[in-house]
Amino acid sequence: MLQIFLQCLQLNPSKFISIKLFTTILFTFLFVFLCSLAIQKPTPLPLQIPKGWPKPPSDIFKNNKPTVEGFALGRQLFYDGNLSSDGNISCESCHQQFASFATFDHDLSHGVNNTFSTRNAPALFNLAWMEGYHWDGGINHIEVQPVHPFTSPNEMGETIENVLAKLNSNAEYRSMFKAAFGDEEATSERLMKSLAQFTGSIVSSNSKYDKVMRGEDEFNNIEKKGYELFKQNCSSCHKEPLFTDNSYRNNGMPLNRFNDVGRMLVTGRSSDSLKFKVPSLRNIQVSYPYMHDGSIFSVPQVVDHYLGLSFENNPFIDTVFKRKIELTPRQKNELIYFLYALTDSTLLKDERFGPPKRIF
Amino acid sequence: MKIFRTLFFVTVIFITAVNISFGQNSTLKINFEHYANGKKIVLSDSSYNNIFGEQYFIKKLRYYVSNLKVNGQAFTEDSLNYHLIDLAKSTSIKLPLTAGKYNKLVFMLGVDSSRNCSGIQQGALDPAKDMFWTWNTGYVVFKLEGTSSSSNADRNRIEHHVGGYRFGNNISQFITFNIGEVVLKPDSISEITINVNLDRYWDSVNTIRISEDPICTLPGTLAKKIAANFPAMFTVKPE
Ligand code: HEC
Ligand code: HEC
Repeated sequence: MLQIFLQCLQLNPSKFISIKLFTTILFTFLFVFLCSLAIQKPTPLPLQIPKGWPKPPSDIFKNNKPTVEGFALGRQLFYDGNLSSDGNISCESCHQQFASFATFDHDLSHGVNNTFSTRNAPALFNLAWMEGYHWDGGINHIEVQPVHPFTSPNEMGETIENVLAKLNSNAEYRSMFKAAFGDEEATSERLMKSLAQFTGSIVSSNSKYDKVMRGEDEFNNIEKKGYELFKQNCSSCHKEPLFTDNSYRNNGMPLNRFNDVGRMLVTGRSSDSLKFKVPSLRNIQVSYPYMHDGSIFSVPQVVDHYLGLSFENNPFIDTVFKRKIELTPRQKNELIYFLYALTDSTLLKDERFGPPKRIF
Repeated sequence: MKIFRTLFFVTVIFITAVNISFGQNSTLKINFEHYANGKKIVLSDSSYNNIFGEQYFIKKLRYYVSNLKVNGQAFTEDSLNYHLIDLAKSTSIKLPLTAGKYNKLVFMLGVDSSRNCSGIQQGALDPAKDMFWTWNTGYVVFKLEGTSSSSNADRNRIEHHVGGYRFGNNISQFITFNIGEVVLKPDSISEITINVNLDRYWDSVNTIRISEDPICTLPGTLAKKIAANFPAMFTVKPE
């Protein structure tokens, strides 16, 4: 490009038939030049807000506008076990797509060197609508969340410096960083931002429930009754359409063997003892086991919990439970059927979020 | 056509020249010198005693200096605004400044709350610098790690990670210094030195005993108690 431009400068203007021709050529060059600039720039990939949904409470992408290239890099990183200290554990090891990005069938997840996490890996979707991350909301921004799994000795067990060194010594990653951020170098900032672009773009909005709300489908009789029971007993915390109100509540789960007091770890207030972030109920059919420690294994058992089975009355229990939840066995089934109508099979198979073609 | 070429080169030279000469041409260098028991601190090998007779070794000493202002003049660029002083790595700050006379220096010992909650940061605030709580987002403002036989913690550790930005737990604070009269000549470097006296860390507004508080890894009451001692630690070295 520059060469052509300089050649043009070296031409003798007397050889041109007219100045008009000269300006035409100049503008053509300018146009081609601008086009090439446009081609090099990453392609925007804005978050799509499903119809009828509220706007995210804050813009997680304020300083990190997703692009096709940034998302592709984030996806590559998400599936790459080489980024852990023993080369085995990727983000995906604990966040599997077919389990709506929770750890399938595990109360706790495996980290490097035969370690275990001390909490249940949450499903990952609709993160753009959240106000805090992790069960206790200790993480205040999606961009800083990956620092935790990368460096925790019972997750990926690495240092950020080592992760960056691995990426910077890999030519394929370098070209992906260049495409996404205009520069080859992997830095903490680019690493975390690309991961945020990937995880933050995962949206679950195509369950039967959503289709019914959009008028494309209808609940059957059982689901319809279950929906009513849900609205009476559950939706004050599991608020539609995200099925969470982003608050921290004490729903009667007893103190576990790790003495995990939840939200109190972050705020230091004893009134926050055993409060956990209200999880979304979308895709719970596939994201078992449940609760912050994975101690409840099935949806019927969760409902039994709310009916009083494993429910432990403690001083800071949510006031909602002053009124005891009562359901007949039949109603219990209806409620469960409704919960299964929240499964978004589109998301579970969506290739955009699946493994990349190749791990570098 | 020659005229175009000449113009092109003249422009390039002009832009480069402006970039080089624009703004500041002198430098103020601020050195931080760390003392305990009247001796310069050496990491790991030497031991010191606090006023309670508790002997200790220091392995890490790091803290954030930010929001520097010299005679009210602020630096907006991040790399000039946020500095990690680390006894093992770097203990001075260089600031580009226009020539003149200066007598006041202010900095924040800490990190603005907005930087604690607006996502990933770069430079001195890069989480890779190991001054970042990964499970409860926020920066450690002041990190002191070492050992002491007075510590009842695992392997006699001292682990003070002092921080906190949320309302009620915020420990970032401004410290103001009179620096006498520093004359900064054009195209030159002037230096000022700030003494950091660790004896005052254990004893100034509050008393901190290693036997009682060997570990502080959370924002909250203890962090605030320790942080109240920070201002007394910093003094300008008399010329
Ligand atoms: C060893 C298993 C494991 C690995 C590996 C892992 N995670 Fe997680 N993830 C968890 C657990 C457990 C939690 C819940 C942590 C808590 O609440 O304290 C979690 C929470 C999260 C959350 C917050 C979700 C929410 O609803 O609050 C996000 C986002 C996330 N992980 C993304 C990632 C990314 C990105 C990676 C790779 C860099 C990763 N995880 C690697 C187990 C893992
Ligand atoms: C007072 C608020 C509140 C109400 C009302 C409530 N929940 Fe929950 N729910 C929570 C909280 C908080 C958690 C997470 C608790 C934990 O992790 O220990 C939770 C967890 C769950 C989970 C596990 C999700 C997962 O991914 O692990 C399911 C399923 C669930 N609730 C279903 C229901 C149903 C069904 C009802 C109505 C019968 C209901 N909830 C009523 C607050 C509430």
